[in-house]
Amino acid sequence: MTTTSLADRLRDGVYRSGLLVLLAALIVYFAVTLPAFGTPRNAVIILQSVAITAIIAMGVTISLTVGGFDLSVGSNVSFVVMLTTAAQVYYEAPPVLAVLIGLAAGALIGLLNGLLVVVARVPDLLATLGTMFVFAGLALVLTAGQSVSSGSIVGGEPAPGRITEPFAWLGRGVVLGLPVPVVVMIVLGVVVTVMLSRSRLGRLLAAVGGNADAARLAGVHVGRIRITAYVLSGTLASVGGVLLAARLGRGDVGVGGSYLLETVAAALIGFAVLGANRPNGFGTLVGAVFVGVLLNGLTMLNVPYYTQDLIKGAILVGALVMSFSALFKRKDAS
Amino acid sequence: MNPVPTDDGPGAQGATPVLSARSVVQRYGATLALDGVDLEVRSGEVLGLVGANGAGKSTLTAVLAGLLAPTEGRVEIDGSAVTLGTPAAAAAHGIALVPQHVETALVPELSVAENLVLDRIARGELGALPSRRRIRAEARAIAGDELLERAGIRLDARAGSLRTAQAQQLLIRRALHRGARVLILDEPTAALSVTEQRELHAQVRRLAADGTAVVYITHHLAEFVGLADRVVALREGRVVDEFSAPIEPARLVSAILGPIEHLPEERPVREAGDAVLSLRGLRVRADAPAVDLDLRRGEVLGITGLLGAGKTELLRQVVGAEPLVDGSMTLDGAAFAPKHPADAIARGLGFVPEDRRRDAELPEWDLVRNTTLAELRPHRRLGLLSARSERAATAALIRSLSIVAAGPRALLSSLSGGNRQKVVVARWLAAGSRVLVLDEPFRGVDLGARADIGALIRSSAVEAAIVASSDPEEILEVADRIIVLADGAVAGEFRPDELDEASLAELLVASTAKDPA
Repeated sequence: MTTTSLADRLRDGVYRSGLLVLLAALIVYFAVTLPAFGTPRNAVIILQSVAITAIIAMGVTISLTVGGFDLSVGSNVSFVVMLTTAAQVYYEAPPVLAVLIGLAAGALIGLLNGLLVVVARVPDLLATLGTMFVFAGLALVLTAGQSVSSGSIVGGEPAPGRITEPFAWLGRGVVLGLPVPVVVMIVLGVVVTVMLSRSRLGRLLAAVGGNADAARLAGVHVGRIRITAYVLSGTLASVGGVLLAARLGRGDVGVGGSYLLETVAAALIGFAVLGANRPNGFGTLVGAVFVGVLLNGLTMLNVPYYTQDLIKGAILVGALVMSFSALFKRKDAS
Repeated sequence: MNPVPTDDGPGAQGATPVLSARSVVQRYGATLALDGVDLEVRSGEVLGLVGANGAGKSTLTAVLAGLLAPTEGRVEIDGSAVTLGTPAAAAAHGIALVPQHVETALVPELSVAENLVLDRIARGELGALPSRRRIRAEARAIAGDELLERAGIRLDARAGSLRTAQAQQLLIRRALHRGARVLILDEPTAALSVTEQRELHAQVRRLAADGTAVVYITHHLAEFVGLADRVVALREGRVVDEFSAPIEPARLVSAILGPIEHLPEERPVREAGDAVLSLRGLRVRADAPAVDLDLRRGEVLGITGLLGAGKTELLRQVVGAEPLVDGSMTLDGAAFAPKHPADAIARGLGFVPEDRRRDAELPEWDLVRNTTLAELRPHRRLGLLSARSERAATAALIRSLSIVAAGPRALLSSLSGGNRQKVVVARWLAAGSRVLVLDEPFRGVDLGARADIGALIRSSAVEAAIVASSDPEEILEVADRIIVLADGAVAGEFRPDELDEASLAELLVASTAKDPA
């Protein structure tokens, strides 16, 4: 590409930075029209509203990187929420143990997904669709369909334990002026982004997603890499589950279900960021924030809550068109 | 079976050609696949079609079967020009193709009966809701009770459960029932047992005796003995020779390969040292003979053989891409049993696969990432990959291999085929491989890149190398020693300076005969 016309460069610019420019424009527009929008307090509210989604979406991004797809993250969250709260309320588990149990459960769900895909050779979408059902069901079975909160009645008796303050701090505490989930989002966002773009593991994950046959002949243990991706995805989903349980301070049945579509949308919107056209950690963060900003601003503009899914869907479709449509594709140098 | 027809048999010269190609040219972008082909197929003859990879066989077949409209030239039926362009049009003119992979012509989930009448159902000839009984009756009429009984085919069986020979028989029967006058069989014996192959040959002769024209494509050249009335050889998109029965396979080989020039330029044939890699008792297939080979220090070992000789099957076992069928290997004197390509790489082997696009390339990655893929550890600084280190290593290889690219960050997909192949070779140099195994490394590679890769393989950067190619000329350019592989067996060994074309041809077909009649 030695000579590029103005139109080509413009198109390339839209393709590469379109979503970031749009995000900036949205923020400016809302800040100008809505006095309550452009405050530091509101910025924190927006970040808090997307933190758990963004963390889980980082895991989805990893599964997409190997050419897979983790549909079980929503059920994973539900299961971990019930598991960590039940451990504390029913069995008086100390908070640290409850967190560790939750994270281990997430990793095991990921391992199961990985084994189904790699060893049993079930296609990714079907394997994780199956485990999505299984763990949504197990989340119900775990507490006999009951929600869990301090003072729940079990077998006619009040449950012995309760959700402790240190645990709730994970969801409601503040560090350096930021809510804990936001801090976790920032830390994990950076870690996953750097891992994907700069580490050997990240390179191998992308190689498996790019051409598994070529990766294998270049010495990559493709099966192990794919299992690793699902374990990371499951673990990150369980981090989201722990934070969600802490923020709610209770275990609500089926509370994780909505996170599947939210996180997949964030990861797929991320395809369009900086013209990557592939899963990438930074893009996923931007995708999550983009949705949060838009919903926050529209809510302030009194757009009814029931239009939210429609708006998210429209953004997703628009971003996908931007990623995949030939209109914005950079031409191959020839 | 009374195979060899005399010259005044049914396929004799002078009969009206039922199907002919006139000056057919086929271009794919800049590539000229067919360069003015004239071909006549006459009623009642079996016409063999041979050619190396890329000679234009598949393209010509596609044009004749109506899968492809030629760029220039025309196809004639009974002497008048027709436009085929679609398989349906070809079928309407009585031309039928039975593809090599018969499963591609069947819907595996449907029953045998449904597959046989699928085209009639699609055209609505059996009504909107054809009954099972109706479908079975129609299908039985097509296949014939005799075939169903003899081949043990149940009409209610899923088509996906058919063996290759059964599916082939049904496809032939379906084609004839539709009134096919020209039957094109593409590699029909590739997946058949010896008995099934013998039966097919007898059937082909019977069809020809009944007046059907059969175009028969195979790389088992010995099959043509006693089967074909004529064989046409293609090379580089042109008809280069034509043979009449009786067919001599060795002459076909010479026509396919073209004139072999002795060592293109004088170069020293190196005397090799001790064995680096030894193969003992390997087999390309479970039923193939054992292969013993030694790769010696400081040599390039060439392996040549026709398609299907087993080169790829052998090399993929050596590099751990497939499990060993049998036998054992040693590398540098120690046992070598790779269970995964990573094991072979760790011992210093690098593998350039036959199908570069499928097995080696990450087209949307830049040159840097394609080059460093096999060994990333040296580029780690504090646990993270150093872009500077990766780039420097790649830039050095771009220079030493004269890779033409916009820079180390250019996408692999922006390069020409020859330069992409150089990147694949560079991957192994970057990984520190001492022994290279290259399968058809010069396919789709221009002459300049071919010379560069050849020089690199022969340089001191590589301790020893195996180069396999079905084109002996490519092997002659680089090899110090040449092994001829035929049907999974080592048929002979040459030094490049003592190669003689006639005996090479003999060796290449030595055991391709599954059924020498």
